[in-house]
Amino acid sequence: MSRRTERRGIHVDQSDLLCKKGCGYYGNAAWQGLCSKCWREEYQQVRQKQIQDDWALAEKLQREEEAAYASIQGAQSQSHSAAATSQQPQAHASLTPFSKFEEKKTNEKTRKVTTVKKFFSPSSRTAAKKESQEGKTPSPSIGRDAGFDTDQVSKDFMDFLKNLQKPGRDIHKQCRAFLISLSNKKHDLGADELSECVQDFYQNLADRLIGHFKVSSESVEQVMDQVEKYIMTRLYKSVFCPETTDDEKKDLATQNRIRALHWVTIQMLCVSFDEEIPEVSENVVKAITDIIEMDSKRVPRDKLGCITRCSKHIFSAIRITKKEPASADDFLPALIYIVLKANPPRLQSNIQYITRFCIPSRLMTGEDGYYFTNLCCAAAFIEKLDAQSLNLSPEEFERYMSGQASSRFSSSNGDVTDSASGSDAMPSNPVLVQLNRNLDMLSDLSTRQEALNEAAAKLQADLLSWTENVKREVNDILERYPLQVPSRTVSAIDTNNIENNLPPPLTPEVFAG
Amino acid sequence: MAATGGGKTYSFKVVLLGEGCVGKTSLVLRYCENKFNDKHITTLQASFLTKKLNITGRRVNLAIWDTAGQERFHALGPIYYRDSNGAVLVYDITDMDSFQKVKNWVKELRKMLGNDICLCIVGKILLLQTRFSGGAIVVVYSYAESVGAKHYHTSAKLNKGIEEMFLDLCKRMMETAQAEERLKGNGASQSASSRRGVQIVDDEPQATPTGGCCSSG
Ligand SMILES: Nc1nc2c(ncn2[C@@H]2O[C@H](COP(=O)(O)OP(=O)(O)O)[C@@H](O)[C@H]2O)c(=O)[nH]1
Ligand SMILES: [Mg+2]
Ligand SMILES: [Zn+2]
Repeated sequence: MSRRTERRGIHVDQSDLLCKKGCGYYGNAAWQGLCSKCWREEYQQVRQKQIQDDWALAEKLQREEEAAYASIQGAQSQSHSAAATSQQPQAHASLTPFSKFEEKKTNEKTRKVTTVKKFFSPSSRTAAKKESQEGKTPSPSIGRDAGFDTDQVSKDFMDFLKNLQKPGRDIHKQCRAFLISLSNKKHDLGADELSECVQDFYQNLADRLIGHFKVSSESVEQVMDQVEKYIMTRLYKSVFCPETTDDEKKDLATQNRIRALHWVTIQMLCVSFDEEIPEVSENVVKAITDIIEMDSKRVPRDKLGCITRCSKHIFSAIRITKKEPASADDFLPALIYIVLKANPPRLQSNIQYITRFCIPSRLMTGEDGYYFTNLCCAAAFIEKLDAQSLNLSPEEFERYMSGQASSRFSSSNGDVTDSASGSDAMPSNPVLVQLNRNLDMLSDLSTRQEALNEAAAKLQADLLSWTENVKREVNDILERYPLQVPSRTVSAIDTNNIENNLPPPLTPEVFAG
Repeated sequence: MAATGGGKTYSFKVVLLGEGCVGKTSLVLRYCENKFNDKHITTLQASFLTKKLNITGRRVNLAIWDTAGQERFHALGPIYYRDSNGAVLVYDITDMDSFQKVKNWVKELRKMLGNDICLCIVGKILLLQTRFSGGAIVVVYSYAESVGAKHYHTSAKLNKGIEEMFLDLCKRMMETAQAEERLKGNGASQSASSRRGVQIVDDEPQATPTGGCCSSG
């Protein structure tokens, strides 16, 4: 079940991530590339629509719930009637494709209404009203919200649950009910309340599996992983970096802070990386890529997976450098360095999202939780970072922050000579080395382009003057040799030609006489 | 799905605190990998290590969290201790400064986590440098007692005292966890139902032994 997503070597251009309006905040694909603020301004009315769509989603969920329930019921009774020996094939037969459920929908209609009301007991009046409105139009697919992925995730979830038989049926029901109840009230809840709802749900479901179904703790962990994936794939869009929080403001602050700290070197942080070793710098680049990739995941566990992969690459880099297992004393400074180099998109939002919606046991005792905690530490350290944190004097620190001193670009820029520390004047980061190399190539290229432009201009001038010259020469010649001579020759030839086309001359005819 | 007889597995988080070079890494590598200063050690990292134990028939998963001990990271401590069940505080018995650091951490831990956290204070013994006075040991022991911590002397090199220390820590963490369970009532579903705002849908007649689950909302 723990089918991990393949690691893709993605390459993210930071500018692609920014809001399309150019306000400096991060944009989000879910908001058509705008930041939440601009998106809000642009699409005020969309919110109303979204609430309606949520209701449609709730309806659809309810239908699926009923259909799936009916299908499992069917499979159950089948397997009950069948001999116990043929349990396996029967269980398999219950993996009915979703399309089969479609025809059942209409039959379920009447029953659905009452069940929906039951789920919405706290606010059944408004729910019923909306239902009658929406009931007339065919409900749009959930696809509008999260697309194919979400449907695939639900399908996987159903398949997973069907193998669990009775508890699976119950888990399914609980999840549906929870999503529906939340889709109804999530617009009125703050981030912490939403988090509490989700956490309570995880807790109650896990307790129920252990207490009521006597499921072992290991299996519960597996189930809860799937539940988290299913629930959070659906909730992601509305609960990641929500409007009700200042997450986005913090993102921007962190992003600017990291930019202002671009001058921090490996030596200042005492990181045990020897980037001269190619294998080390490879791992550093991979670690940077992993931590940037975190933002693209929707499920908390998948985001944690990115942090964990990033951490493992850091460990490799330390191990290769120091030739011993990395301890926390090595790891934390290295992670801080990687975060400074990567400037991961929406770092604070991602940290908050994971904290709010991850399965708690994974954060508390799991390995992922350890790396995540270190990432929180790194973010906190960067936020508070001062001269003392880097063993610099306050004056030095100020000079770096104000851009008067530079630790990196002094070597390539002849006029910047007031580098505060000569020893780390050389760019130590392979990414920066590459950057510098690219900059050199660019400036070389632009010199050559200029030369090319000059040559082209000269060629054009040459061409013009050549045409002029030719004209002048032709005129000269025309003046010197008057026209009649050539024109005669031409007309003589023409005469011949014309004569050839004429009918043959008349030949004398001899008249018989 | 395999149902078991209800033997709950305990998962404990233990943070490892101590000044640099007092032997934290050596201690945990000895305990989890049974290695000491091994040139050929293949372990990728010694920051997060786990150990599975079986104590009086109950399974225990121990997660040991190393912490960055450098002074400039000191303020980050609370982020590391959050939700920890135990702490192992290491000092070097020949260096009373490192013991003073331990005292500071104990104060912070107690302030943040109260008596929910079980403490072990560990004096690392360097056999060739046993130039500590008996008086110092008395001070250390009585301090440990006064803050409700157990004190141990260990040697990672000789593999002495480490197993005992962790075993004792685990037993105390289990007691704490059991006491907490008793406090919350019999079984988990009770505690769950006391959490607000969530309705567990339940229309099966034989459901929820403890009852009261559906009354909310
Ligand atoms: N003789 C001896 N040396 C030890 C012991 N524990 C650690 N050391 C040494 O003390 C030094 C620092 O240990 P380390 O585990 O890296 O300390 P840390 O910085 O607290 O993680 C290393 O050179 C170890 O070999 C021990 O129990 N006995
Ligand atoms: Mg260490
Ligand atoms: Zn914007």
